[in-house]
Amino acid sequence: MKELFPVKQVMGFVFSLVLTVVALLVYFTDMSFPIGMTILLVTAFIQAGLQLVVFMHAGETDDKKSIYTNVYYGLIIALVTIFGTLLILVWDM
Amino acid sequence: MKIDNSLPLEYSTEENNLKILGFWIFLGAEIMLFATLFTMYFTLENRIGHGPSGAEIFEITPVLVETILLLTSSFVIGLGIHAMRLGNKKAMMVFFSITLLLGAGFLGFEIFEFVHYNHVGATLQTSAFTAALLTTLGTHGLHVTFGLFWGLAILIQIKKRGLTPETTNKSFIFSLYWHFLDVIWIFIFSFIYLKGMM
Repeated sequence: MKELFPVKQVMGFVFSLVLTVVALLVYFTDMSFPIGMTILLVTAFIQAGLQLVVFMHAGETDDKKSIYTNVYYGLIIALVTIFGTLLILVWDM
Repeated sequence: MKIDNSLPLEYSTEENNLKILGFWIFLGAEIMLFATLFTMYFTLENRIGHGPSGAEIFEITPVLVETILLLTSSFVIGLGIHAMRLGNKKAMMVFFSITLLLGAGFLGFEIFEFVHYNHVGATLQTSAFTAALLTTLGTHGLHVTFGLFWGLAILIQIKKRGLTPETTNKSFIFSLYWHFLDVIWIFIFSFIYLKGMM
């Protein structure tokens, strides 16, 4: 039975629950918008990275480089799309 | 077909390796799909017209339950893949079944949430904000719905054919998809709900 619950994945799960609780602080405590957003950005990206490495085994084969290049590429396009649009349409710069 | 026995079954042939890499590339495209939805949402979130704002309609309880359900299902399918690598077909099927049940629970809460939005007058036609919100949430929900049928089909195949290079490869790819949906949900949870209620 014990062999079915690898320590690494159990720890990963516990850690992601902790990150969720930390993110919830922005709702349950009174904090300013910039501090709240900083906390959310940090917890969300750590949690996404955790899923990728611990649960999706992104780095376990020879395709590691291709997989990470692909993920980073997708991420860069995503961030450029989101922040580029906000810059022009919302922040009016 | 050359089978390399030093690797887990799902990686044991070149075709299997390529299928997994190919699925990662598909996930890269999915990241961009959701990026465009988030772009739309962040651009339009303050355009509420005569409709309600996010802070008025979001409720923490169902959102929290959905988050825990999806997070747990993502962990459980990880255990399923681990059991698969140990060659434990029965444990793997149990873990995959629990994953799908948690996924169904998530979907149930999301449908309940959508009915609630409809009830308080936040429909697809109400404002730019509600349209962007429901399209973003709906696209994620649609992915989960699709995943439920996909996972069910894989469970049936595992039951009929056992753990072969083909079925393990399909299961691993499905697990990648399921984890990815959890990653997207983390961003929805943080930057749509929590940000909206802050």
